[in-house]
Amino acid sequence: MARSSQRKWVTGYLIAVAAIFIIYQFLFPWEGLPIGIYDFLQLWLPPTAVNESLVYVICALGLNIVVGYAGLLDLGYVAFWAIGGYCAGWFMSEFFYQINLHFFGSVARTAPGIHVNFWGVLLIGGLVCAFFGILIGGPTLRLKSDYLAIVTLGFGEIIPQVFFNGDDIAGFNLSNGTKGITILDPIPVGAKNIGPFDFGYKFIIFVLLAALMVFISLRLRKGKLGRAWLAIREDELAASMMGVPLMQTKLSAYAVGAFAGGLGGVAFATHVDGVYAERFNFSISIFLLAMVVLGGMGNVWGVIIGALLLSWINSTGLPAFGTTFNDKFGTSINFPSFTFLLFGLVLILMMLYKREGLIPESRLRLILHEGDAEEDLTSKESK
Amino acid sequence: MKKNHKAIAALGVVTLAMSIMGSPIAQSASVVTLTVSSDLPLQGGSADQSESTNNVIKLLLKQMGNKAGKYKIKFKIYDDSTAAKGSWDDAQCASNAQAHVANRTEMAVMGTYNSGCAKIIVPVLNQDPKGPMVMVSNANTNPGLTKAWNPGEPTKYYPTGFRNYFRVVTTDDFQGSAAAQFAKSQGVKSVYVLNDTQTYGQGVAQAFTTEANKIGLKVLSDGTAGEGWDAKQPNYEALFTKIKATNPDMVYIGGIFDLNGGQLVKDKVKVLGDNKTVKLMAPDGFTGYPDFLALPEADGAYLSFTGLSIDLFPKNGKAAQFQKDYFKEYGKAPTSSFSVYGGAAMQAILDAISRSNGTRKDVFQKMKSVNIPAAKSVVGTAIKFDDAGDTVYHDITILVVKNNTETTLKKISVK
Repeated sequence: MARSSQRKWVTGYLIAVAAIFIIYQFLFPWEGLPIGIYDFLQLWLPPTAVNESLVYVICALGLNIVVGYAGLLDLGYVAFWAIGGYCAGWFMSEFFYQINLHFFGSVARTAPGIHVNFWGVLLIGGLVCAFFGILIGGPTLRLKSDYLAIVTLGFGEIIPQVFFNGDDIAGFNLSNGTKGITILDPIPVGAKNIGPFDFGYKFIIFVLLAALMVFISLRLRKGKLGRAWLAIREDELAASMMGVPLMQTKLSAYAVGAFAGGLGGVAFATHVDGVYAERFNFSISIFLLAMVVLGGMGNVWGVIIGALLLSWINSTGLPAFGTTFNDKFGTSINFPSFTFLLFGLVLILMMLYKREGLIPESRLRLILHEGDAEEDLTSKESK
Repeated sequence: MKKNHKAIAALGVVTLAMSIMGSPIAQSASVVTLTVSSDLPLQGGSADQSESTNNVIKLLLKQMGNKAGKYKIKFKIYDDSTAAKGSWDDAQCASNAQAHVANRTEMAVMGTYNSGCAKIIVPVLNQDPKGPMVMVSNANTNPGLTKAWNPGEPTKYYPTGFRNYFRVVTTDDFQGSAAAQFAKSQGVKSVYVLNDTQTYGQGVAQAFTTEANKIGLKVLSDGTAGEGWDAKQPNYEALFTKIKATNPDMVYIGGIFDLNGGQLVKDKVKVLGDNKTVKLMAPDGFTGYPDFLALPEADGAYLSFTGLSIDLFPKNGKAAQFQKDYFKEYGKAPTSSFSVYGGAAMQAILDAISRSNGTRKDVFQKMKSVNIPAAKSVVGTAIKFDDAGDTVYHDITILVVKNNTETTLKKISVK
């Protein structure tokens, strides 16, 4: 079952990616595009919203490994996003103007600051985050469920605070405080740099990063490590009795999850062309968790759908609906202010009627529906 | 079940197609419609202020018959905040920046409210292939946007070299120095400076400290911008007990009221005594907050404001008339003077558009020669810009809190 259905998913996504690329790379900038279609796209699906939601996809896929696969509830995931973002701020801008260090950078050699190539920064961001993932994983190994969640929550609060107040650490300016680090180097592609209006190329880069995370998720899930994660998720005690090394397995879940957070952080920093400490608050962690839960914990495709959907509603969907509604009926209702009401309602309804998420993982579905009279479990499992 | 899904999908496609067909495809050729926009935070704490600003602009356009020169003008509102964040959102600013450029009829942007957001939008508008596109702010007071402040500023915001950013309010460096000069004129000899650790608060506090040192006030706090206060502290008695030992004549709090400013002011009065014994002064981050004015501890506190407060607008002429018209239209006065400055920023934009040939490039060229006389301006002072894009008037208003209202004391013009 798995092979063919996965191939279907992949083909579907490839077609969607190609269509979106063609629309935004060729159709959208074309002056001849009828103004009706143009305005419609601009209102309901602007190119930046597409790219932004891909960043959420990358992060949600990382969180899915920690929460969905290994069953370790993480309420501080935003910390990795922040660390990734600041890696981009440090290594591809003029922020450290005292130094002049270039490593295949995309700006003139005379520019002050550290300028590492975007792809190098991605790697640095990912690895630094993986390191911090192991660091946070360390003390939490002996904790379970609620206690674990509290520790990760603490971590998620500490890291942004460090950046928030990090403009004067014994005289050293680490993060520029709330002023943030602005204007990053452009992403080089071959000899050309990606400008602020090249959505298509940025889109392809973000899709590649998301695809990398999908690939990592699916391959790991199939292998020894993935099966060990699932075993821990379902019964930690039983897993350790069967010889699953708890420490290694949990730490690797944190490391891989954090790596994705680093990639997402770097990608997001290039998306907004800067890093601001204020962005990394608790609500972003919850927002990402909601994406994973809504989409289907443990199912890569479900998580992607969940992330795309929620981030679209937050950035574009509700405001666009509000604009259309207010224009049509002459009202002035502030629709985006109802975002959390809507999210809360959706989550409650999901928990009541479809606990396993939009596209459930088959195993989770089995567990959640264990004992349902009308369902024949054995036939489901063989499917 | 499967069939059902397909039917829904088909229905979706049909509705989508219909909505596209329904939109106006072409507009009449005779009158060209151009769009101007505002880019403000409509969620969170600044929402009321932003709504009032948009109302000012709507009224202004209505009075002008939605026209600028030979062009018909359409007003579009952008929101640079999200509900998930409850304040301005960096991703939303980036997205709005792209949307401004992508909106083919849009000529210029009025905004933003937050300097941080402007630092994201300005470089994108600057690189617009059909531009640069103009942005005029009614509220950004951070100096770095137009003058040398932090390393790399302001040139890093203008990659093409064109200075497409303008503002109708003056900057925090002038506000800080005006406050220091005022303090000296009140007989203050020594001062303790606090800041809220944010971009804005540090900027003002730093400007205040620099000027205070220059004119011979004794600054008792350490550092270039004084001491930071932590907005998450439940109380500040320890902080003020420490300050009491240094025996200052005045405490200057550079920051925003939202960041636990109420508690700070309460504890100041509790430990150091009322605002006559030890004076208290704050920048425009404390103006326009009813909650602050309602505090008994706020009585006698001095405030400063970048630009003119509504009280200081001329009592007759366009500015006074506009206040009356606003009250008549909406049944209340504008939330603060920042909102009316939004109207002034829009006046500058419309003036440039009316003299242009209807392209962004030309609107940008005409912005430099904007000169709206005081008699025609909604704020009662002439609107024109220097080469950096700043307003040529460096007016700071000093206010005092008396009987729970802000009372205008005087105007200081910094050179």
